[in-house]
Amino acid sequence: MSKRFIRGLGLLLAGTFLAAACAQGGGAGGDKGEIIIATNFPTSGADRASGRGPEAGANYAVQTAATVKGFKLSVKNYDDAVNGVHDPQKGAQNFTDMVNNSKILGVVGPFNSNVARATIPVANKANLVMISPSNTNECLTQDFPYCDPKPAALRDASQPNNYFRIAAPDTVQGPAMADFAIDTLKITKIAVWSDNETFGKGVADNFAKRFTSKGGTVVVRQDFDTKTTSDFKPFLQRAKDAGAAGIYAGATSATKGCIPRAQSKGILDVPYLGPDGIGDSQCVKDAGDQATDKMYFTNAAADASQDASNKDLIDAFKKAFPQKDDSGAYTFPGYDCAKILIDAIGRAIDAAGGNMPTRKQVLQAVQDTKNLKLSTGTYSFDKNGDPTSATMAFYQYKPSKSDWDFVKQFGVGQ
Amino acid sequence: MGAVGEAIRRRRSDLRSGLTGRALDVGLYVLILAFLFLLGTRVIEHGPDYLLQIFFFALANGAIYALIALGYTMVYGIIELINFAHGDVFAFGAFASASLIPLFGLSEGQVWGPFTILQLLAVFVVTMLLCAVLNVSIERIAYRPLRHAPRLAPLITAIGMSFFLEGAMFLWKGPSSVHYPDVLPDLSFTILGARVGVKEITVWITTIVLVVGLALFIDRSRLGKAMRATAQDRDAAQLMGIDIDRTIAATFFIGAVLAGAGGIMYGLSYNTAVFDLGFSAGLVAFTAAVFGGIGNIYGAAIGGLVLGLIRTFWDGYFDSAWSDVVIFAILIMVLVFRPTGILGMRVPEK
Repeated sequence: MSKRFIRGLGLLLAGTFLAAACAQGGGAGGDKGEIIIATNFPTSGADRASGRGPEAGANYAVQTAATVKGFKLSVKNYDDAVNGVHDPQKGAQNFTDMVNNSKILGVVGPFNSNVARATIPVANKANLVMISPSNTNECLTQDFPYCDPKPAALRDASQPNNYFRIAAPDTVQGPAMADFAIDTLKITKIAVWSDNETFGKGVADNFAKRFTSKGGTVVVRQDFDTKTTSDFKPFLQRAKDAGAAGIYAGATSATKGCIPRAQSKGILDVPYLGPDGIGDSQCVKDAGDQATDKMYFTNAAADASQDASNKDLIDAFKKAFPQKDDSGAYTFPGYDCAKILIDAIGRAIDAAGGNMPTRKQVLQAVQDTKNLKLSTGTYSFDKNGDPTSATMAFYQYKPSKSDWDFVKQFGVGQ
Repeated sequence: MGAVGEAIRRRRSDLRSGLTGRALDVGLYVLILAFLFLLGTRVIEHGPDYLLQIFFFALANGAIYALIALGYTMVYGIIELINFAHGDVFAFGAFASASLIPLFGLSEGQVWGPFTILQLLAVFVVTMLLCAVLNVSIERIAYRPLRHAPRLAPLITAIGMSFFLEGAMFLWKGPSSVHYPDVLPDLSFTILGARVGVKEITVWITTIVLVVGLALFIDRSRLGKAMRATAQDRDAAQLMGIDIDRTIAATFFIGAVLAGAGGIMYGLSYNTAVFDLGFSAGLVAFTAAVFGGIGNIYGAAIGGLVLGLIRTFWDGYFDSAWSDVVIFAILIMVLVFRPTGILGMRVPEK
C-alpha cells in the first residue's frame, strides 16, 4: 500500500501548496495617480461577525467617493484574524506591509485594542495615520497610573501622534453599563468576569470601579484563560451563592463571551451584561436557548439609524452590501472613519499644492479635523487622538426579533 | 594536608546539602499546610452546601477527563506511543454528536419520553463507532507502518495526525465555537442542599458504566487477555498465536469509544465545542494519565478525577486565572516524589 499511498499524499500536499500560492490581481491607474486607503479588521472566523461590518462601511465610503481631487481612490482590505481570532502579531505584519506600500496614505482600523497596541508603533514610525472606529482601551491614548504599557511607550516622541479613534474609551463604556445596571435594571450585587485580555479586563475593571463607587457590590470577580477554560459553572455557582443579581462579562464573542450565559441554565437566570464585544450573532448562537431579553451590551458608538437624516445612506448601503454580516454595530462608524480620512486627504492634497501629499501632511490634516458632521456624530480630535465627544448606545436582545434591539443612547464627554 | 582539606570540604558540602534538602522538605510541608489552611477557611466561609455543589461539578469534570485519559493510557500501555491525535478524536466526538443530535430528531428544550432516551442512546452509539473507526484508521495509516521504525517517527506522525484532524474540523465547522444543543431535560434534584442536574447524573452514570465495563473487559475477556499479553511482551504474545495487529487495533477502537463518549458528555455539559478543543483537553487528559501512572487504567481514571477536582475546586474557591498553573505545579510535585505517578506505571521493562 505504501508507495501508492505516499504518492497520493504527495499529490494532496502539492495541491494544497498550489491552492495557497494562487496570487491575487488588481490595481488600475487614475488621472494624477492612485491613493489607497487600507482597512485592517478581523474578517474571518468567529471575529468576522465583528470585523466585517466596519470593513464593509469603509469600503462603501471609498467606493462612493471614488476620486479625491483628481486622484483615484481605492481600498485594500487586510484581515488580522488567525484561526478566526484577532491576532496582534498578524496585525503588526499587516501594518508592516502597509508601511511599505507608498500608495497607502491612511488606515481604517484595527477593530481590537490589543491589535492597536501592537500596530501603533509600526505605523507611528512611518507617520501612517490610523483611525479606529471601535478601539476602546483607554490606555491607547491616555496615561493612567495602571496603564501598562504607557501610551508614550507605543509612540516615538519625535514623531507626531498618528493614532485616532471615534469610539468612546473603556473609561466610559464600562461605567456607562454600571450606571445602566444600577439606575435602569436596579441591580445592586453583581458578579464580574473577564477574559484577561487588554480589552476585556480593562472594561471589566472600569465597570467594577464605577459599580462600587455608586454603592453597588461586586460579589465575585474572576479572570479566565478562556483558551483552556470551558466550565464556567463553578463561577456561576459562586455568583449565585453570593447573591449576584446580574453578571458582567468583560469579554468578546471570540473569547467565550456568551458561553457562561448558556451554562447558567438552571443555576442563575439574571441579567447578563457586556461590552460591545458580545454584541453580535455569535454571542446569540453561543447562548443557545438562554438567549433571552436579559442580555444587554453597550456600544461605544452611536446607532446611525437613530438619526432620520441617515435613512437614504443606510438604504443605499444595504443595496450595495446586502450580506447580513455587512451590517453590524460598527458598520457606520467604519464608514465615518473612512470619510474623515478622505476629507483629510483632500485637504492634504491642497496643502501639497495639488500633488500627492506626504503621510505627514495627511496625518496633520486628520488632526486638524474640525466639527465634521457624519452619520454617527460630529467629529473633532483632541491632542491624544480621542474624539472630543462620543456617544454610548445600549442594546438588548429581543428573542421575538432574533436580533439585538436598540434601547437608548446618550452623548458622553471625555 | 590536601586529603584532609578535601575531606573537610566534602563533610561541609554534605552537611549543606542535607540542610538544604531538609529545608526544602520543611518548606514544602509548610506550603501544603498553608494551602490547606487557606482552603479550609474558604470552605468554612462558603458553607457546606456550596462545598457539596462544587464537589458535584468537580466529579462531572473529572469523569470527562478520565474518559479521555483512558485512551492515552491504553495506547501507551500497549505500544508505548503517545497518541497525540487522541484529544482530537475526542473533539471529533463532540463535533460529530453535535451534528447527529438534530439528525436523530433531538432538539434543544424538547419534551422527554422513553423514546428520547433511545434517540440519545443512538447518538452515543453512532458517535462512539465513528470515533472508533477514525482512531483505528489513524493507527492503520500513521502508526502501523512505523511500528518497527525509530521511536521518534511515530511520535511525529502522531503530532501530524493531530494537526490534520484539527485542520479537517476547522474546514468542517469553521473557526468559531459551535453551540452544542442542550438536549438534556432541565430537571434537578436537591441532595443535602446542593443541586444535582440531569447533566451531572448522565456524566457520572455513563462514566461508571464505561469504566467498569472496560475493567471487566480487560480482566475477563479473551481479547482483554490478549491486550495484556501484548502489552507485556509483544513477541512472546505473537509466538503464542495472538494476532498483534488485531489486538492493537482493538485497543485504539476501545480508546476511541471512550473518547467519543467523553466528547458527547463534554458537549452536553458545557454546550460548546470548538475545532481546537482537542489540544487543551487532550493535554489535561494526558497529564491525568501520567499523574495516575501511565499504562495503568485505574491510574488514568483516578488521575482524571483528581485533576477535575483540583481544577473545579480552584475555580470555585480561588482565582481561575491560576487554574492551569496550579494543576501543573501539583503535577510537578507529584512526579518529583513519585516519578511513576500515583498508582505506578504499568509498562513492561524492555
